[in-house]
Amino acid sequence: MTSSEKQLPLSGLRVVNFGREWLGPVAGQTLAFLGAEVYRVESQIRVDINRTLPPFGGGVRDHNRSLQNHAGWAGNGSITLNLKEPRAVELAKELVAKSDVAIENFGPGVMEKLGLGYEALRKTKSDVILVSMPAAGLTGALKNVRTYGMSLSSITGLDSLTGYADGPPVPMENAYADPLGGIIGAFAVLLGVSYRERTGKGQHVDFSQQEGIMQMMTPAFMDYALNGRVAGPIGNRHPLKAAAPHGVFPCAGEDRWISIAVSELEEWDGLVAAMGKPEWASDQAFASLESRVENIDVLHEKLAAWTIGFDDAALADKLQEHGVAAAPVLNVADLLNSPQYKSRKTFIEVDHPLGFRETIYGAYVKTSRSNIDVKPGPVMGRDNGHVFQDLLGLSEEAIQELIEAKVIF
Amino acid sequence: MATDGAEAVSGALEGIRVIEMGEGVSAAFCAKLFSDYGADVIKIETPKQGDKTRRWGPFPGDVSHPEKSGLYFALNTNKRGVTLDVSVPKGREQLLRLLEDADVLIENNLPKKMKAWGLDYQTLSAANPDLVMISITPFGQTGPYADWNAVDLNAFHLTGTGSRYCGRPGEAPLQHGTFSAEYYGAYTAVTWGLACVLGRTLVGGGQHLDVSCAEAVAATFVGAQNIGGYAQDGIYDKRTGVGMSLAAPATILPCKDGYVWMIALETAQWKGIVKAMGDPEWAQIDLFDDMFVRAQNADMIYPLLEEWTMQHGKQELMDMLQGNGCPATAVYTVAEAADHPHMKERGYIVEVEHPELGNMRVLGAPIHLPECPGGPRRPAPLFGQHNEEVFCKQLGLEAVAFEELKSEGVL
Repeated sequence: MTSSEKQLPLSGLRVVNFGREWLGPVAGQTLAFLGAEVYRVESQIRVDINRTLPPFGGGVRDHNRSLQNHAGWAGNGSITLNLKEPRAVELAKELVAKSDVAIENFGPGVMEKLGLGYEALRKTKSDVILVSMPAAGLTGALKNVRTYGMSLSSITGLDSLTGYADGPPVPMENAYADPLGGIIGAFAVLLGVSYRERTGKGQHVDFSQQEGIMQMMTPAFMDYALNGRVAGPIGNRHPLKAAAPHGVFPCAGEDRWISIAVSELEEWDGLVAAMGKPEWASDQAFASLESRVENIDVLHEKLAAWTIGFDDAALADKLQEHGVAAAPVLNVADLLNSPQYKSRKTFIEVDHPLGFRETIYGAYVKTSRSNIDVKPGPVMGRDNGHVFQDLLGLSEEAIQELIEAKVIF
Repeated sequence: MATDGAEAVSGALEGIRVIEMGEGVSAAFCAKLFSDYGADVIKIETPKQGDKTRRWGPFPGDVSHPEKSGLYFALNTNKRGVTLDVSVPKGREQLLRLLEDADVLIENNLPKKMKAWGLDYQTLSAANPDLVMISITPFGQTGPYADWNAVDLNAFHLTGTGSRYCGRPGEAPLQHGTFSAEYYGAYTAVTWGLACVLGRTLVGGGQHLDVSCAEAVAATFVGAQNIGGYAQDGIYDKRTGVGMSLAAPATILPCKDGYVWMIALETAQWKGIVKAMGDPEWAQIDLFDDMFVRAQNADMIYPLLEEWTMQHGKQELMDMLQGNGCPATAVYTVAEAADHPHMKERGYIVEVEHPELGNMRVLGAPIHLPECPGGPRRPAPLFGQHNEEVFCKQLGLEAVAFEELKSEGVL
């Protein structure tokens, strides 16, 4: 390995992460994967809910063993500061002064109340980049809205499109918006860094989670803007009716499915050939894309009657051989056994310092030059020694005193 | 930078030169995030039909027209557009000249196609070692599915999201009603890609980023909260059709005029709901202060909550619940989300003049940078609109040669 290969793209970028729950830590993790030195600030005073969720490593209920969330937090360092204590706030500010970026996902005004608002941080470091990631932005009528990632999706309109065609909305049972928002938050950081590299100026960046997720709604928004139409749930259908079939079809076995999408004529011919040219497929009702879209319900019924006899993976292979866009629908267990993810080392096993093995996700983007190093989930306060002693220059006695006073806590 | 009467605003990514060559949502959205924040993006389309989103619409009055697709318009703001057939030697040569001076190439073609065109990373990096090549495909550049024909739907359902989190048991797993894996992949790609652009000096040059839309979601969303437990204990959950299994309430409930997302994880949030309901007797059980206990009794709690929500409107419920410290929200339709006064106050929906569509509303920049605001300012390019500007003025192609490429169908 040459020396440059050891460097990562963001090596040398120091980030103080006041983020919490799922989104904030993912923002820090994304930057850390790429080489940034990230310190997450947390406290025993109010342990983050994500540290309390089962299952736990080795079945031992402990804030440092929540497997569910180690993957999402891996890469973040951790220091413990009880920000209700003025001395803790001062230490946080000192750390920011020695860093490039601070990120947070509290509601608007919380950082100010803690004494860590943009103006306060700017006094300690004039070109600081503060990235705020509130639910609906720092300004506007909805700025104080409280959400989790799941309820956040509903004020973007996304949930109103999710459900079986023409039925009621069906809840997405976890917060898609959280890890995605964390990744977008990391992009927000890099926009700030990019501008500062060119001009030397820092700024207070306002990333609205609502607006970030709303971008995904663009097809429905444009139809509303152009035609005044208000979309409802569309199931697995193409958002702009540009394909048919376009759905998920049952296969042999319990809860086994295959996704199939056909838009081009060659793909339709491929599907018909794969099915052994059944008579129904030559019906005028399915002769063109337009007519297939129009008769999509009947088409899907016919197709489902055919797919149900096949193994999902074998059928996907067969359809791919005929040039048809098809893939098995995976469940959680399949993720770990999928030849595709195995081959790409999507999930990796690492040794946790507390003495158990845990499976987390690795570098989910492959970079040809940089060797991404993935660490296990952080133990609370893992970096206290390094940060307070090496970076901030406190003596061991001073640190001990702060621990006893529950400032470092 | 391009003309078209754009204001001189210094964007965060000013000075970065990007070439985009792809079809559909993922590459275009990734490149839009570059162009909306100030990078100079040239979009390359095939001379025959152009990007397939030109055929997808939505169109005004549902009348198909390649210059009037709403999705194409929204995905390509602030870009310059050229047409080029990179599958023929003369077209490939023009592309290579463009890439010589580019910082970034964003593409979403299948790896076998790029290879067949002689446009694999090895070839391109030899010509420009500082190039950051961002490939965004459904399944990535490697692995048995790398060259599979696939669209957003196939990628999405390879992530486990539908099977685990969306749909009723016994019925099909569901996708969001949009291209959600491609959007996720594009956001992932722009973040990692920009880091690699900024870090070129540090790491000694450009590199190839291999982004799989399916992998990004499977890892960071489903994997994050399920893989550790499954690997350790060998058990896993599936969709319930109702909501989160570890907590209640955490579901969509109907109300008088639509739906609300009803969620309370912490005790205080649950107490907020109870208070908003007027402290009914059934909710006074202390055990219900625990979200796990509530989850175990969801069958009982949900119908009782629904009885209450059905008496109120969605906004009224949201206001009452939020007022009591509960993070429940109204399930807004696209119209309710877009027309909310909040959006106007924040200037999130912007208007851009397009020669064929007229004055168009489009979603603005989700990241607000006070020093260098981004967002759509120029409309999406017309088909081949910047051919002359790019090939003649920028690359110095002679007028005769330009006409020849045009008549041969290369441009």
